[in-house]
Amino acid sequence: MTTEETPMRVVLAEDLGLLREGLVRLLEAHDIEVVAAVDNGPGLLSALLRHRPDLAVVDVRLPPTFTDEGLRAALAAREQIPGLPVMVLSQYVEQLYARELLADTRGGIGYLLKDRVSDFREFLDAVRRVAAGGTALDPVVVSKLLGRQERDVGVRRLSPREREVLGHMAQGRSNAAIGAAMVITEKAVGKHTNSIFAKLGLLPSEDDNRRVLAVLAYLQAPPDPDRAR
Amino acid sequence: MTGQTETTRPTRDAHDPAGSSWPGWSTGFPWRVTRWQIGVAVLASVAAPVVWLATGRGEFWPRWVWFGLAAALAGQAALRSAWRTPPGPRRWLAVHTAVFGILVPAEFVIWGLSGGGFLWPVWALVVLGAAFTAHAWAVSRLPPDREVELTRRVDTLVRSRRVVVDGQNAELQRIERDLHDGAQARLVSLGVSLGLAEHLVRTDPEAAIRMLGESRASVGATLEDLRTVMRQIRPPVLADRGLVGAVEALALDLAVPVTVAARLPGAVPGSLEPAVYFAVAECLANVVKHSGARSARVDLAHADGRLVVTVADDGLGGAAPDRGSGLRGVADRLEVFDGRVRVDSPAGAGTRVTIDVPCELENR
Repeated sequence: MTTEETPMRVVLAEDLGLLREGLVRLLEAHDIEVVAAVDNGPGLLSALLRHRPDLAVVDVRLPPTFTDEGLRAALAAREQIPGLPVMVLSQYVEQLYARELLADTRGGIGYLLKDRVSDFREFLDAVRRVAAGGTALDPVVVSKLLGRQERDVGVRRLSPREREVLGHMAQGRSNAAIGAAMVITEKAVGKHTNSIFAKLGLLPSEDDNRRVLAVLAYLQAPPDPDRAR
Repeated sequence: MTGQTETTRPTRDAHDPAGSSWPGWSTGFPWRVTRWQIGVAVLASVAAPVVWLATGRGEFWPRWVWFGLAAALAGQAALRSAWRTPPGPRRWLAVHTAVFGILVPAEFVIWGLSGGGFLWPVWALVVLGAAFTAHAWAVSRLPPDREVELTRRVDTLVRSRRVVVDGQNAELQRIERDLHDGAQARLVSLGVSLGLAEHLVRTDPEAAIRMLGESRASVGATLEDLRTVMRQIRPPVLADRGLVGAVEALALDLAVPVTVAARLPGAVPGSLEPAVYFAVAECLANVVKHSGARSARVDLAHADGRLVVTVADDGLGGAAPDRGSGLRGVADRLEVFDGRVRVDSPAGAGTRVTIDVPCELENR
Protein backbone atom coordinates (compact mmCIF):
# COMPACT_ATOMS: atom_id res chain seq x y z
CA MET A 1 0.00 0.00 0.00
CA THR A 2 2.87 2.35 0.66
CA THR A 3 5.93 2.90 -1.39
CA GLU A 4 9.23 4.64 -0.76
CA GLU A 5 7.99 7.78 -2.48
CA THR A 6 4.73 8.24 -0.54
CA PRO A 7 5.19 7.58 3.18
CA MET A 8 2.48 5.77 5.14
CA ARG A 9 -0.12 8.20 6.55
CA VAL A 10 -1.48 7.53 10.02
CA VAL A 11 -4.22 9.03 12.20
CA LEU A 12 -3.47 8.57 15.89
CA ALA A 13 -5.87 8.70 18.84
CA GLU A 14 -4.41 8.62 22.35
CA ASP A 15 -5.54 10.71 25.30
CA LEU A 16 -2.36 10.47 27.39
CA GLY A 17 -0.29 13.41 26.14
CA LEU A 18 3.08 11.84 26.92
CA LEU A 19 2.33 8.59 25.11
CA ARG A 20 0.75 10.47 22.19
CA GLU A 21 3.89 12.57 21.72
CA GLY A 22 6.07 9.48 22.08
CA LEU A 23 4.11 7.59 19.43
CA VAL A 24 4.21 10.54 17.02
CA ARG A 25 7.97 10.80 17.44
CA LEU A 26 8.48 7.05 17.06
CA LEU A 27 6.36 6.83 13.89
CA GLU A 28 7.80 9.95 12.27
CA ALA A 29 11.34 8.77 13.00
CA HIS A 30 10.52 5.74 10.85
CA ASP A 31 9.13 7.59 7.85
CA ILE A 32 5.50 7.24 8.88
CA GLU A 33 3.59 10.47 8.63
CA VAL A 34 1.13 11.24 11.44
CA VAL A 35 -1.46 13.37 9.66
CA ALA A 36 -3.58 13.86 12.79
CA ALA A 37 -3.12 13.09 16.48
CA VAL A 38 -6.34 13.43 18.49
CA ASP A 39 -7.28 12.76 22.11
CA ASN A 40 -10.99 11.82 22.00
CA GLY A 41 -13.48 9.52 20.26
CA PRO A 42 -15.57 11.98 18.23
CA GLY A 43 -12.36 13.77 17.10
CA LEU A 44 -10.99 10.43 15.89
CA LEU A 45 -14.01 9.69 13.71
CA SER A 46 -13.97 13.08 12.01
CA ALA A 47 -10.18 12.96 11.50
CA LEU A 48 -10.47 9.53 9.89
CA LEU A 49 -13.24 10.66 7.56
CA ARG A 50 -11.29 13.79 6.58
CA HIS A 51 -7.81 12.30 6.11
CA ARG A 52 -8.61 8.77 4.91
CA PRO A 53 -5.24 7.51 6.25
CA ASP A 54 -3.43 4.25 5.46
CA LEU A 55 -3.81 3.24 9.11
CA ALA A 56 -5.61 4.31 12.27
CA VAL A 57 -3.72 3.77 15.54
CA VAL A 58 -6.30 3.95 18.33
CA ASP A 59 -6.35 3.71 22.11
CA VAL A 60 -9.41 1.73 23.30
CA ARG A 61 -10.22 3.98 26.23
CA LEU A 62 -10.81 7.58 25.22
CA PRO A 63 -12.76 10.61 26.43
CA PRO A 64 -15.56 11.58 26.78
CA THR A 65 -16.85 8.28 28.20
CA PHE A 66 -13.50 6.72 29.16
CA THR A 67 -14.95 3.34 28.26
CA ASP A 68 -14.30 1.53 24.95
CA GLU A 69 -14.92 4.78 23.04
CA GLY A 70 -11.87 4.30 20.79
CA LEU A 71 -12.85 0.78 19.78
CA ARG A 72 -16.37 1.89 18.93
CA ALA A 73 -15.10 4.87 16.92
CA ALA A 74 -12.72 2.60 14.99
CA LEU A 75 -15.50 0.11 14.21
CA ALA A 76 -17.81 2.96 13.15
CA ALA A 77 -15.07 4.37 10.89
CA ARG A 78 -14.62 0.97 9.23
CA GLU A 79 -18.29 0.95 8.33
CA GLN A 80 -17.90 4.27 6.52
CA ILE A 81 -14.44 3.54 5.10
CA PRO A 82 -14.55 -0.17 4.24
CA GLY A 83 -11.19 -1.87 4.56
CA LEU A 84 -9.62 0.89 6.69
CA PRO A 85 -6.71 -0.77 8.53
CA VAL A 86 -6.98 -0.26 12.29
CA MET A 87 -4.40 -0.87 15.00
CA VAL A 88 -6.03 -0.85 18.44
CA LEU A 89 -3.86 -0.36 21.53
CA SER A 90 -5.07 -1.05 25.05
CA GLN A 91 -4.00 -1.42 28.68
CA TYR A 92 -5.89 -4.73 28.77
CA VAL A 93 -7.07 -7.15 26.11
CA GLU A 94 -10.34 -9.02 25.74
CA GLN A 95 -11.15 -11.83 23.32
CA LEU A 96 -14.56 -10.17 22.93
CA TYR A 97 -12.95 -7.07 21.42
CA ALA A 98 -10.61 -9.10 19.19
CA ARG A 99 -13.66 -10.93 17.91
CA GLU A 100 -15.50 -7.68 17.16
CA LEU A 101 -12.50 -6.28 15.33
CA LEU A 102 -11.93 -9.43 13.31
CA ALA A 103 -15.62 -9.82 12.40
CA ASP A 104 -15.05 -7.64 9.32
CA THR A 105 -12.22 -9.30 7.38
CA ARG A 106 -11.78 -6.42 4.91
CA GLY A 107 -8.63 -4.50 5.83
CA GLY A 108 -5.89 -5.19 8.33
CA ILE A 109 -6.54 -5.45 12.06
CA GLY A 110 -4.12 -5.02 14.91
CA TYR A 111 -4.96 -5.47 18.58
CA LEU A 112 -2.03 -5.09 20.95
CA LEU A 113 -1.29 -4.28 24.57
CA LYS A 114 0.25 -0.85 24.95
CA ASP A 115 3.32 -2.49 26.50
CA ARG A 116 4.24 -3.84 23.05
CA VAL A 117 5.00 -0.32 21.82
CA SER A 118 8.21 -0.38 23.85
CA ASP A 119 9.60 -3.09 21.56
CA PHE A 120 9.97 -0.67 18.64
CA ARG A 121 11.08 -3.19 16.06
CA GLU A 122 8.19 -5.58 16.71
CA PHE A 123 5.72 -2.73 17.00
CA LEU A 124 6.74 -1.06 13.73
CA ASP A 125 6.67 -4.44 12.04
CA ALA A 126 3.09 -4.92 13.28
CA VAL A 127 2.14 -1.39 12.15
CA ARG A 128 3.44 -2.03 8.63
CA ARG A 129 1.82 -5.46 8.50
CA VAL A 130 -1.61 -4.13 9.48
CA ALA A 131 -1.37 -1.15 7.11
CA ALA A 132 -0.68 -3.69 4.34
CA GLY A 133 -3.90 -5.57 5.20
CA GLY A 134 -2.40 -8.13 7.58
CA THR A 135 -3.14 -9.09 11.18
CA ALA A 136 -1.33 -8.39 14.44
CA LEU A 137 -2.89 -10.00 17.49
CA ASP A 138 -1.40 -9.67 20.95
CA PRO A 139 0.23 -12.84 22.35
CA VAL A 140 -2.05 -12.53 25.40
CA VAL A 141 -5.16 -12.74 23.19
CA VAL A 142 -3.66 -15.69 21.35
CA SER A 143 -2.83 -17.54 24.55
CA LYS A 144 -6.41 -16.95 25.76
CA LEU A 145 -7.67 -18.35 22.44
CA LEU A 146 -5.45 -21.40 22.76
CA GLY A 147 -6.35 -21.86 26.43
CA ARG A 148 -10.01 -21.91 25.51
CA GLN A 149 -9.35 -24.67 22.97
CA GLU A 150 -7.44 -26.92 25.37
CA ARG A 151 -10.17 -29.59 25.16
CA ASP A 152 -10.56 -29.35 21.40
CA VAL A 153 -9.68 -32.61 19.67
CA GLY A 154 -7.89 -30.90 16.76
CA VAL A 155 -5.72 -28.71 18.98
CA ARG A 156 -4.94 -31.63 21.30
CA ARG A 157 -3.49 -33.57 18.38
CA LEU A 158 -0.82 -30.90 17.75
CA SER A 159 2.72 -31.49 18.94
CA PRO A 160 4.20 -28.87 21.33
CA ARG A 161 6.29 -27.48 18.46
CA GLU A 162 3.24 -27.22 16.22
CA ARG A 163 1.33 -25.51 18.98
CA GLU A 164 4.10 -22.93 19.21
CA VAL A 165 3.95 -22.34 15.46
CA LEU A 166 0.15 -22.07 15.69
CA GLY A 167 0.55 -19.40 18.39
CA HIS A 168 2.88 -17.35 16.19
CA MET A 169 0.58 -17.79 13.19
CA ALA A 170 -2.45 -16.62 15.20
CA GLN A 171 -0.51 -13.47 16.10
CA GLY A 172 -0.39 -12.76 12.36
CA ARG A 173 3.24 -13.54 11.58
CA SER A 174 4.50 -14.76 8.22
CA ASN A 175 6.44 -18.02 7.88
CA ALA A 176 9.68 -16.04 7.58
CA ALA A 177 8.97 -14.13 10.79
CA ILE A 178 7.98 -17.32 12.62
CA GLY A 179 11.21 -18.97 11.47
CA ALA A 180 13.22 -16.00 12.75
CA ALA A 181 11.40 -16.01 16.09
CA MET A 182 11.79 -19.77 16.63
CA VAL A 183 15.26 -19.93 15.12
CA ILE A 184 14.31 -22.55 12.52
CA THR A 185 14.29 -22.43 8.73
CA GLU A 186 11.33 -21.10 6.82
CA LYS A 187 11.05 -24.51 5.19
CA ALA A 188 10.71 -26.19 8.60
CA VAL A 189 7.98 -23.68 9.49
CA GLY A 190 6.20 -24.56 6.24
CA LYS A 191 6.27 -28.23 7.19
CA HIS A 192 4.77 -27.46 10.59
CA THR A 193 2.04 -25.27 9.09
CA ASN A 194 1.06 -27.98 6.60
CA SER A 195 0.81 -30.49 9.45
CA ILE A 196 -1.22 -28.03 11.56
CA PHE A 197 -3.66 -27.38 8.73
CA ALA A 198 -4.07 -31.11 8.15
CA LYS A 199 -4.70 -31.85 11.83
CA LEU A 200 -7.21 -29.01 12.20
CA GLY A 201 -8.91 -29.92 8.92
CA LEU A 202 -8.29 -26.51 7.34
CA LEU A 203 -7.69 -25.83 3.65
CA PRO A 204 -4.07 -24.78 3.03
CA SER A 205 -3.44 -21.45 1.33
CA GLU A 206 -0.38 -19.74 -0.10
CA ASP A 207 -1.54 -16.33 1.12
CA ASP A 208 -0.09 -15.55 4.58
CA ASN A 209 -2.98 -13.45 5.84
CA ARG A 210 -5.67 -15.80 4.57
CA ARG A 211 -3.94 -18.57 6.53
CA VAL A 212 -3.91 -16.40 9.64
CA LEU A 213 -7.61 -15.66 9.30
CA ALA A 214 -8.42 -19.37 8.80
CA VAL A 215 -6.51 -20.24 11.96
CA LEU A 216 -8.24 -17.45 13.92
CA ALA A 217 -11.67 -18.53 12.68
CA TYR A 218 -10.90 -22.05 13.91
CA LEU A 219 -9.70 -20.83 17.31
CA GLN A 220 -12.69 -18.53 17.75
CA ALA A 221 -15.25 -21.28 17.15
CA PRO A 222 -16.67 -22.86 20.31
CA PRO A 223 -14.27 -25.50 21.69
CA ASP A 224 -15.42 -28.93 20.64
CA PRO A 225 -14.02 -32.12 22.20
CA ASP A 226 -15.51 -34.11 19.28
CA ARG A 227 -14.37 -31.86 16.44
CA ALA A 228 -12.46 -34.50 14.53
CA ARG A 229 -11.47 -34.67 10.90
CA MET B 1 -30.46 -27.53 29.12
CA THR B 2 -33.67 -25.58 29.51
CA GLY B 3 -35.47 -28.88 30.00
CA GLN B 4 -34.08 -29.01 33.52
CA THR B 5 -37.04 -28.45 35.83
CA GLU B 6 -37.29 -26.10 38.76
CA THR B 7 -38.42 -28.89 41.05
CA THR B 8 -35.25 -30.97 40.89
CA ARG B 9 -33.88 -32.13 44.22
CA PRO B 10 -31.89 -31.69 46.32
CA THR B 11 -32.67 -28.01 46.65
CA ARG B 12 -30.69 -26.19 49.23
CA ASP B 13 -30.38 -22.58 50.14
CA ALA B 14 -26.80 -21.47 50.49
CA HIS B 15 -28.32 -19.36 53.25
CA ASP B 16 -30.75 -20.69 55.82
CA PRO B 17 -33.18 -17.80 56.21
CA ALA B 18 -34.73 -17.66 59.70
CA GLY B 19 -33.64 -21.21 60.42
CA SER B 20 -35.92 -21.41 63.46
CA SER B 21 -39.12 -22.77 61.94
CA TRP B 22 -40.57 -25.97 63.43
CA PRO B 23 -41.56 -28.17 60.55
CA GLY B 24 -45.07 -29.55 60.94
CA TRP B 25 -45.99 -27.25 63.83
CA SER B 26 -45.85 -23.99 62.00
CA THR B 27 -48.75 -24.99 59.76
CA GLY B 28 -52.43 -24.67 60.75
CA PHE B 29 -54.06 -26.70 63.51
CA PRO B 30 -55.42 -29.66 61.63
CA TRP B 31 -58.59 -30.64 63.48
CA ARG B 32 -61.36 -28.36 62.34
CA VAL B 33 -64.86 -28.99 63.76
CA THR B 34 -66.56 -30.58 60.76
CA ARG B 35 -70.23 -30.65 59.75
CA TRP B 36 -69.99 -34.38 60.06
CA GLN B 37 -68.97 -34.08 63.71
CA ILE B 38 -71.81 -31.64 64.45
CA GLY B 39 -74.25 -33.94 62.67
CA VAL B 40 -73.18 -36.93 64.77
CA ALA B 41 -73.38 -34.84 67.95
CA VAL B 42 -76.90 -33.60 67.17
CA LEU B 43 -77.97 -37.13 66.30
CA ALA B 44 -76.54 -38.52 69.56
CA SER B 45 -78.16 -35.68 71.56
CA VAL B 46 -81.58 -36.52 70.10
CA ALA B 47 -81.07 -40.30 70.32
CA ALA B 48 -80.07 -40.31 74.00
CA PRO B 49 -83.46 -39.12 75.43
CA VAL B 50 -85.28 -41.44 73.02
CA VAL B 51 -83.25 -44.39 74.30
CA TRP B 52 -83.81 -43.12 77.85
CA LEU B 53 -87.61 -43.04 77.23
CA ALA B 54 -87.56 -46.48 75.61
CA THR B 55 -85.57 -48.09 78.41
CA GLY B 56 -87.91 -47.16 81.21
CA ARG B 57 -86.81 -43.71 82.31
CA GLY B 58 -84.40 -44.27 85.20
CA GLU B 59 -82.10 -41.56 86.36
CA PHE B 60 -81.85 -38.89 83.54
CA TRP B 61 -78.43 -39.92 82.21
CA PRO B 62 -78.68 -38.22 78.73
CA ARG B 63 -77.55 -34.97 80.42
CA TRP B 64 -74.08 -36.55 80.69
CA VAL B 65 -74.15 -37.36 76.96
CA TRP B 66 -75.05 -33.73 76.18
CA PHE B 67 -72.40 -32.42 78.48
CA GLY B 68 -69.70 -34.70 77.05
CA LEU B 69 -70.48 -33.81 73.43
CA ALA B 70 -70.68 -30.07 74.14
CA ALA B 71 -67.42 -30.11 76.10
CA ALA B 72 -65.57 -32.04 73.38
CA LEU B 73 -66.75 -29.74 70.56
CA ALA B 74 -66.12 -26.55 72.57
CA GLY B 75 -62.63 -27.77 73.50
CA GLN B 76 -61.78 -28.53 69.89
CA ALA B 77 -63.07 -25.15 68.66
CA ALA B 78 -61.23 -23.27 71.41
CA LEU B 79 -57.93 -25.03 70.65
CA ARG B 80 -58.31 -24.35 66.97
CA SER B 81 -58.90 -20.65 67.50
CA ALA B 82 -55.96 -20.48 69.93
CA TRP B 83 -53.76 -22.02 67.24
CA ARG B 84 -54.38 -18.99 65.00
CA THR B 85 -51.91 -17.04 67.13
CA PRO B 86 -48.50 -16.86 65.41
CA PRO B 87 -46.02 -19.52 66.56
CA GLY B 88 -44.04 -18.84 69.67
CA PRO B 89 -44.67 -18.31 73.41
CA ARG B 90 -47.83 -16.30 72.70
CA ARG B 91 -49.43 -19.28 70.98
CA TRP B 92 -48.77 -21.48 73.99
CA LEU B 93 -50.41 -18.90 76.24
CA ALA B 94 -53.46 -18.87 73.94
CA VAL B 95 -53.62 -22.67 74.17
CA HIS B 96 -53.36 -22.42 77.94
CA THR B 97 -56.19 -19.87 77.97
CA ALA B 98 -58.37 -22.19 75.88
CA VAL B 99 -57.73 -25.19 78.15
CA PHE B 100 -58.30 -23.07 81.25
CA GLY B 101 -61.46 -21.54 79.76
CA ILE B 102 -62.98 -24.96 79.03
CA LEU B 103 -61.73 -26.96 82.02
CA VAL B 104 -62.89 -24.64 84.84
CA PRO B 105 -66.48 -24.09 83.60
CA ALA B 106 -66.66 -27.83 82.84
CA GLU B 107 -65.82 -28.64 86.46
CA PHE B 108 -68.57 -26.33 87.70
CA VAL B 109 -71.05 -27.95 85.31
CA ILE B 110 -69.99 -31.41 86.51
CA TRP B 111 -70.42 -30.21 90.09
CA GLY B 112 -73.92 -28.95 89.16
CA LEU B 113 -74.90 -32.03 87.21
CA SER B 114 -73.73 -34.37 89.94
CA GLY B 115 -76.02 -32.74 92.44
CA GLY B 116 -74.04 -29.90 94.06
CA GLY B 117 -72.83 -30.36 97.58
CA PHE B 118 -69.32 -29.32 98.64
CA LEU B 119 -68.00 -26.79 96.03
CA TRP B 120 -64.88 -28.78 95.18
CA PRO B 121 -64.17 -27.02 91.79
CA VAL B 122 -63.03 -24.00 93.80
CA TRP B 123 -59.78 -25.81 94.61
CA ALA B 124 -59.17 -26.56 90.94
CA LEU B 125 -59.95 -22.93 90.13
CA VAL B 126 -57.40 -21.70 92.65
CA VAL B 127 -54.58 -24.04 91.51
CA LEU B 128 -55.19 -23.70 87.76
CA GLY B 129 -55.81 -19.95 88.12
CA ALA B 130 -52.47 -19.50 89.85
CA ALA B 131 -50.66 -21.47 87.13
CA PHE B 132 -52.43 -19.48 84.42
CA THR B 133 -51.67 -16.15 86.07
CA ALA B 134 -47.99 -17.07 86.35
CA HIS B 135 -47.86 -18.09 82.70
CA ALA B 136 -49.64 -14.91 81.54
CA TRP B 137 -47.32 -12.76 83.64
CA ALA B 138 -44.24 -14.46 82.17
CA VAL B 139 -45.47 -13.96 78.61
CA SER B 140 -46.39 -10.32 79.27
CA ARG B 141 -42.75 -9.66 80.09
CA LEU B 142 -41.66 -10.89 76.63
CA PRO B 143 -40.96 -8.22 74.01
CA PRO B 144 -43.76 -7.68 71.46
CA ASP B 145 -43.73 -9.70 68.22
CA ARG B 146 -42.69 -6.73 66.07
CA GLU B 147 -39.71 -6.23 68.30
CA VAL B 148 -38.76 -9.90 67.96
CA GLU B 149 -38.97 -9.56 64.17
CA LEU B 150 -36.87 -6.40 64.18
CA THR B 151 -34.33 -7.96 66.50
CA ARG B 152 -33.93 -10.86 64.11
CA ARG B 153 -33.53 -8.49 61.16
CA VAL B 154 -30.93 -6.46 63.04
CA ASP B 155 -29.08 -9.66 63.89
CA THR B 156 -29.03 -10.59 60.20
CA LEU B 157 -27.80 -7.12 59.24
CA VAL B 158 -25.09 -7.10 61.88
CA ARG B 159 -23.93 -10.51 60.71
CA SER B 160 -23.99 -9.68 57.00
CA ARG B 161 -22.25 -6.37 57.65
CA ARG B 162 -19.53 -8.09 59.60
CA VAL B 163 -19.11 -10.68 56.85
CA VAL B 164 -18.84 -7.89 54.26
CA VAL B 165 -16.39 -5.86 56.30
CA ASP B 166 -14.30 -8.97 56.98
CA GLY B 167 -14.46 -9.86 53.29
CA GLN B 168 -13.46 -6.37 52.21
CA ASN B 169 -10.66 -6.34 54.72
CA ALA B 170 -9.34 -9.68 53.48
CA GLU B 171 -9.68 -8.41 49.90
CA LEU B 172 -7.73 -5.23 50.65
CA GLN B 173 -5.05 -7.25 52.43
CA ARG B 174 -4.73 -9.53 49.45
CA ILE B 175 -4.49 -6.58 47.04
CA GLU B 176 -1.92 -4.90 49.27
CA ARG B 177 0.13 -8.11 49.34
CA ASP B 178 -0.18 -8.59 45.57
CA LEU B 179 0.99 -5.02 44.93
CA HIS B 180 3.76 -5.32 47.48
CA ASP B 181 5.11 -8.64 46.22
CA GLY B 182 4.39 -7.93 42.55
CA ALA B 183 4.42 -4.46 41.04
CA GLN B 184 6.24 -2.75 43.90
CA ALA B 185 9.05 -5.34 44.08
CA ARG B 186 9.47 -5.21 40.32
CA LEU B 187 9.67 -1.41 40.32
CA VAL B 188 12.37 -1.58 43.00
CA SER B 189 14.47 -3.95 40.90
CA LEU B 190 13.73 -1.82 37.84
CA GLY B 191 15.14 1.20 39.63
CA VAL B 192 18.28 -0.76 40.48
CA SER B 193 18.69 -1.95 36.87
CA LEU B 194 18.28 1.58 35.51
CA GLY B 195 20.76 2.92 38.05
CA LEU B 196 23.28 0.27 37.00
CA ALA B 197 22.71 1.06 33.32
CA GLU B 198 23.28 4.76 34.00
CA HIS B 199 26.50 3.87 35.80
CA LEU B 200 27.71 1.55 33.02
CA VAL B 201 26.69 3.59 29.98
CA ARG B 202 30.14 5.14 29.45
CA THR B 203 32.41 2.37 30.72
CA ASP B 204 30.58 -0.68 29.39
CA PRO B 205 27.90 0.34 26.86
CA GLU B 206 27.20 -3.29 25.93
CA ALA B 207 26.30 -4.18 29.53
CA ALA B 208 24.26 -0.97 29.82
CA ILE B 209 22.23 -1.94 26.76
CA ARG B 210 21.64 -5.39 28.24
CA MET B 211 20.48 -3.80 31.51
CA LEU B 212 18.08 -1.52 29.63
CA GLY B 213 16.65 -4.48 27.75
CA GLU B 214 16.06 -6.30 31.04
CA SER B 215 14.44 -3.16 32.44
CA ARG B 216 12.00 -3.03 29.56
CA ALA B 217 11.04 -6.67 30.10
CA SER B 218 10.57 -5.90 33.78
CA VAL B 219 8.19 -3.04 32.91
CA GLY B 220 6.10 -5.51 30.90
CA ALA B 221 5.90 -7.92 33.84
CA THR B 222 4.97 -5.07 36.19
CA LEU B 223 2.13 -4.02 33.91
CA GLU B 224 0.90 -7.61 33.78
CA ASP B 225 0.87 -7.71 37.60
CA LEU B 226 -1.10 -4.48 37.74
CA ARG B 227 -3.59 -5.75 35.18
CA THR B 228 -4.17 -8.90 37.25
CA VAL B 229 -4.81 -6.87 40.39
CA MET B 230 -7.13 -4.46 38.58
CA ARG B 231 -9.13 -7.31 37.09
CA GLN B 232 -9.71 -8.65 40.60
CA ILE B 233 -10.93 -5.28 41.84
CA ARG B 234 -13.22 -4.49 38.91
CA PRO B 235 -12.65 -5.84 35.39
CA PRO B 236 -12.36 -2.93 32.90
CA VAL B 237 -14.78 -4.64 30.52
CA LEU B 238 -17.47 -4.19 33.19
CA ALA B 239 -17.11 -0.41 32.90
CA ASP B 240 -17.02 -0.64 29.08
CA ARG B 241 -19.89 -3.00 28.42
CA GLY B 242 -21.86 -3.45 31.63
CA LEU B 243 -22.81 -6.76 33.23
CA VAL B 244 -24.03 -8.57 30.12
CA GLY B 245 -21.01 -7.62 27.98
CA ALA B 246 -18.63 -8.53 30.78
CA VAL B 247 -20.27 -11.95 31.23
CA GLU B 248 -20.05 -12.52 27.46
CA ALA B 249 -16.35 -11.59 27.54
CA LEU B 250 -15.84 -13.94 30.48
CA ALA B 251 -17.61 -16.79 28.68
CA LEU B 252 -15.25 -16.44 25.69
CA ASP B 253 -12.21 -17.22 27.83
CA LEU B 254 -13.52 -20.60 29.02
CA ALA B 255 -12.71 -24.05 27.68
CA VAL B 256 -16.40 -25.06 27.98
CA PRO B 257 -18.77 -23.47 25.42
CA VAL B 258 -21.08 -21.10 27.30
CA THR B 259 -24.23 -19.55 25.85
CA VAL B 260 -25.15 -16.18 27.33
CA ALA B 261 -28.78 -15.06 26.98
CA ALA B 262 -29.89 -11.73 28.45
CA ARG B 263 -33.31 -10.16 28.69
CA LEU B 264 -32.59 -6.94 30.54
CA PRO B 265 -34.53 -3.83 29.47
CA GLY B 266 -32.03 -1.57 31.28
CA ALA B 267 -28.64 -1.50 32.95
CA VAL B 268 -27.87 -3.15 36.30
CA PRO B 269 -26.84 -0.51 38.90
CA GLY B 270 -23.07 -0.01 39.00
CA SER B 271 -22.84 -0.85 42.71
CA LEU B 272 -24.39 -4.28 42.13
CA GLU B 273 -22.56 -5.19 38.89
CA PRO B 274 -19.28 -6.42 40.39
CA ALA B 275 -21.01 -8.64 42.98
CA VAL B 276 -23.13 -10.34 40.33
CA TYR B 277 -20.21 -10.51 37.88
CA PHE B 278 -17.92 -12.22 40.39
CA ALA B 279 -20.79 -14.54 41.42
CA VAL B 280 -21.22 -15.65 37.80
CA ALA B 281 -17.43 -15.94 37.41
CA GLU B 282 -17.26 -18.23 40.46
CA CYS B 283 -20.10 -20.41 39.13
CA LEU B 284 -18.49 -20.69 35.68
CA ALA B 285 -15.12 -21.50 37.25
CA ASN B 286 -16.84 -24.36 39.10
CA VAL B 287 -18.40 -25.52 35.82
CA VAL B 288 -14.97 -25.71 34.18
CA LYS B 289 -13.16 -27.20 37.19
CA HIS B 290 -15.63 -29.65 38.70
CA SER B 291 -18.72 -30.33 36.61
CA GLY B 292 -17.30 -32.24 33.64
CA ALA B 293 -19.92 -30.39 31.60
CA ARG B 294 -19.88 -30.27 27.80
CA SER B 295 -21.69 -26.95 27.70
CA ALA B 296 -23.16 -24.35 30.00
CA ARG B 297 -25.63 -21.53 29.84
CA VAL B 298 -26.03 -18.19 31.60
CA ASP B 299 -29.43 -16.50 31.61
CA LEU B 300 -29.93 -12.96 32.86
CA ALA B 301 -33.48 -11.69 33.32
CA HIS B 302 -35.34 -9.05 35.27
CA ALA B 303 -38.91 -9.38 36.56
CA ASP B 304 -40.95 -7.99 39.48
CA GLY B 305 -38.10 -5.83 40.72
CA ARG B 306 -35.64 -8.73 40.86
CA LEU B 307 -32.58 -9.58 38.82
CA VAL B 308 -32.45 -13.34 38.29
CA VAL B 309 -29.28 -14.91 36.90
CA THR B 310 -29.04 -18.65 36.36
CA VAL B 311 -25.88 -20.56 35.54
CA ALA B 312 -26.72 -24.07 34.35
CA ASP B 313 -24.52 -26.87 33.04
CA ASP B 314 -25.01 -30.40 31.73
CA GLY B 315 -22.35 -31.94 33.93
CA LEU B 316 -22.25 -34.44 36.77
CA GLY B 317 -24.36 -32.55 39.30
CA GLY B 318 -24.23 -33.45 42.97
CA ALA B 319 -22.59 -30.14 43.93
CA ALA B 320 -22.94 -29.31 47.62
CA PRO B 321 -23.16 -25.57 48.24
CA ASP B 322 -22.03 -25.88 51.85
CA ARG B 323 -18.79 -27.55 50.81
CA GLY B 324 -16.00 -25.25 49.70
CA SER B 325 -15.87 -21.54 50.33
CA GLY B 326 -16.43 -20.34 46.75
CA LEU B 327 -20.22 -20.33 46.65
CA ARG B 328 -20.35 -19.38 50.32
CA GLY B 329 -18.36 -16.24 49.49
CA VAL B 330 -20.69 -15.51 46.57
CA ALA B 331 -23.71 -15.76 48.87
CA ASP B 332 -22.07 -13.53 51.48
CA ARG B 333 -21.23 -10.89 48.92
CA LEU B 334 -24.82 -10.88 47.63
CA GLU B 335 -26.44 -10.86 51.06
CA VAL B 336 -25.60 -7.15 51.38
CA PHE B 337 -27.99 -6.56 48.49
CA ASP B 338 -30.59 -8.91 50.04
CA GLY B 339 -29.65 -11.33 47.28
CA ARG B 340 -29.95 -15.10 47.48
CA VAL B 341 -28.12 -18.00 45.89
CA ARG B 342 -29.85 -21.34 45.31
CA VAL B 343 -28.17 -24.50 44.09
CA ASP B 344 -30.08 -27.30 42.33
CA SER B 345 -27.67 -30.12 41.70
CA PRO B 346 -29.23 -33.57 41.49
CA ALA B 347 -26.56 -36.23 40.98
CA GLY B 348 -26.12 -37.02 37.30
CA ALA B 349 -28.39 -34.24 36.02
CA GLY B 350 -26.27 -31.11 35.89
CA THR B 351 -26.06 -28.13 38.20
CA ARG B 352 -28.17 -25.00 38.18
CA VAL B 353 -27.23 -22.05 40.35
CA THR B 354 -29.84 -19.31 40.65
CA ILE B 355 -28.78 -15.86 41.81
CA ASP B 356 -31.70 -13.69 42.78
CA VAL B 357 -31.24 -10.03 43.81
CA PRO B 358 -33.83 -7.28 44.26
CA CYS B 359 -32.86 -4.33 42.05
CA GLU B 360 -34.28 -1.66 39.76
CA LEU B 361 -32.70 -1.34 36.32
CA GLU B 362 -31.34 2.00 35.17
CA ASN B 363 -31.34 3.77 31.85
CA ARG B 364 -27.79 4.23 30.72
